[in-house]
Amino acid sequence: MQDLYNVYQNSYLFVFVFLLLGILLPIVALTAGKLLRPNKPTPAKQTTYESGIEPFHQSWVQFNVRYYMFGLLFVIFDVETVFLYPWAVAYDKLGIFALIEMLIFMIMLVIGLIYAWKKKVLTWI
Amino acid sequence: MDLDTLLSYQWGGMLPEFIIIITATLLSLLDLFLPKDKDRKLLAWIGLAGIVAALLVLFTQMGDPIVTILNDTYRLDSFSKAFKLILLVGTAFVFLLSMDYSRHDIEHRGEFYYLFLTALLGAMMMASSADIITLFVGLELLSISSYILAGLKKKNMNSNEAAFKYVVNGGISTAVILFGMSYIYGFTGETNLFNIQAALQGPLVAENSFLIIFAFFLLFIGLSFKIATAPFHMWAPDVYQGAPTPVTAFLSIVSKTAGFVIILRTILTIFISAPGLAVVHDAGINTEPLLVSIQPYISVLAMLTMIIGNAIAIRQHNIKRMLAYSSVAHAGYLLVPLASLSALVFEATWFYLIAYLFMTLGAFAVVQHVAAEEKSEEIHAFSGLMKRSPLLALSMSVFLLSLAGIPLTAGFVGKYEIFMSALGTAQQHYILAAVMIGTTIISYFYYFNIMVQMFFRPGNPVLHKRRIPAGVSFVLVLCIIGTIGFGILPGIPLDFIQQNFNFNEFFAQP
Repeated sequence: MQDLYNVYQNSYLFVFVFLLLGILLPIVALTAGKLLRPNKPTPAKQTTYESGIEPFHQSWVQFNVRYYMFGLLFVIFDVETVFLYPWAVAYDKLGIFALIEMLIFMIMLVIGLIYAWKKKVLTWI
Repeated sequence: MDLDTLLSYQWGGMLPEFIIIITATLLSLLDLFLPKDKDRKLLAWIGLAGIVAALLVLFTQMGDPIVTILNDTYRLDSFSKAFKLILLVGTAFVFLLSMDYSRHDIEHRGEFYYLFLTALLGAMMMASSADIITLFVGLELLSISSYILAGLKKKNMNSNEAAFKYVVNGGISTAVILFGMSYIYGFTGETNLFNIQAALQGPLVAENSFLIIFAFFLLFIGLSFKIATAPFHMWAPDVYQGAPTPVTAFLSIVSKTAGFVIILRTILTIFISAPGLAVVHDAGINTEPLLVSIQPYISVLAMLTMIIGNAIAIRQHNIKRMLAYSSVAHAGYLLVPLASLSALVFEATWFYLIAYLFMTLGAFAVVQHVAAEEKSEEIHAFSGLMKRSPLLALSMSVFLLSLAGIPLTAGFVGKYEIFMSALGTAQQHYILAAVMIGTTIISYFYYFNIMVQMFFRPGNPVLHKRRIPAGVSFVLVLCIIGTIGFGILPGIPLDFIQQNFNFNEFFAQP
């Protein structure tokens, strides 16, 4: 009983340590950087970094709602591949049951893809 | 797991669910590949055929022994069969209503039909599982489908508001449920309800009974959002008003039934033998059962629900808002057997839900037709209905009388059963029973107000006179037969329960 309690409380200790590290890391890194680097600002340096493209007008513009549709579809199929990899690696151990599960999973996703395709989510106006 | 173990399960038990999921998938594919201008009524008939087929299969399963698949993830006992019957019949009626719902308001007919089926599938999984995770997945399948259904009138602001409020409130309730479940899992390390039940009798739980009571309240509060009991009923009026009428009927019957099913299943299985508060006697300190410790709180919740639901319903001008508060009040009545921990809890709840199904669906069928004729969902749209269409007015009166609990209707028998369940326990719950009678009398005000409108107020000139569509009239006839038939001959459904459902199976472990 006492052991179980210790394990329980120790798990919270881990969470606390991780929280502390997570807060301290950016603070330490940014402060150390500020102290070490030379400070010579020019207008070109202070522009927003846009992967090399010259930034133009405000960032507060309305995005086309299709971005979200594409994003959603991407995430779904991304997750599918993430599921497929461990299953493929452990195929011999999991056996036929996992194969059937995976088939059901993929058929459902294919139906989702057909739905998105017929509803013209994949075409860009 | 190899193929032999997989095939050794009795998958036939899941046949109703398989039929529903195949129908739903078929409908979604058909909707995609049918030409745009083709009428989608075909889809509704296919969906209805699927539901009827599932019902027939369910009838052949009556009296079969318990089926469990994959360590109780799927569990078919008398309890789940009894309540799946209500879910399937309710959805079939909703389908009949939705076929005649205005094409102008809902353009996405395909989604309209198959989302009902996916929601039904979620509700059926909630009825036939004894594993926290599967129950939760079923609950979410029902909830997410209902969120979309509530917002299907895409160009109507009220409908959009309803969907948004429903998503936000549903999200909060889901978070609370999961928080409660995580405590239960943390305590026991099990997801199977029966294993949890056994693990909750251990010494660790007895020392920390306050935590298990906390978990109980989180679970109960989260689930009571689903059945819309006060003080967690705030979403109901807005959502019921904004959603299309068949969806409102679905929420108020199928969704509520599923909510009661999951409440009974989780709470009565998990906590049946959990320890509660310590009580000091003359002889020493005893620990009373958890269900006894929390009884006063559930009773207060039931009483509050009955009082608030019935009192606020009086002030409503919109018929769907009024029926929303009335459904809140009915959820309060339905909590009484659970609050009094009666041995008849399953029978009383089942019978009341059947009676509630017939009277509420009938009322919504009338509301849908009158709203289509008058282009208004206000209560004064009903004025002079007796002159315009006497049959509609008379059938509405039958449903209202039944909702009010007047003798010779199913509503009366249901209320009587609940009343007796509150007084039939060892420790009689006079206050609960008294509040129930008092609030029933309050409910006469608003139910009879509609009858006053129909019979004694001069009618509006009829703007869009139309014939009662076949689907609506079929629902009306069946609901009148159910409401009056079960009121005069309550023996038929009660014998049916006795013969087909052995509710002791609920607690039986294979």
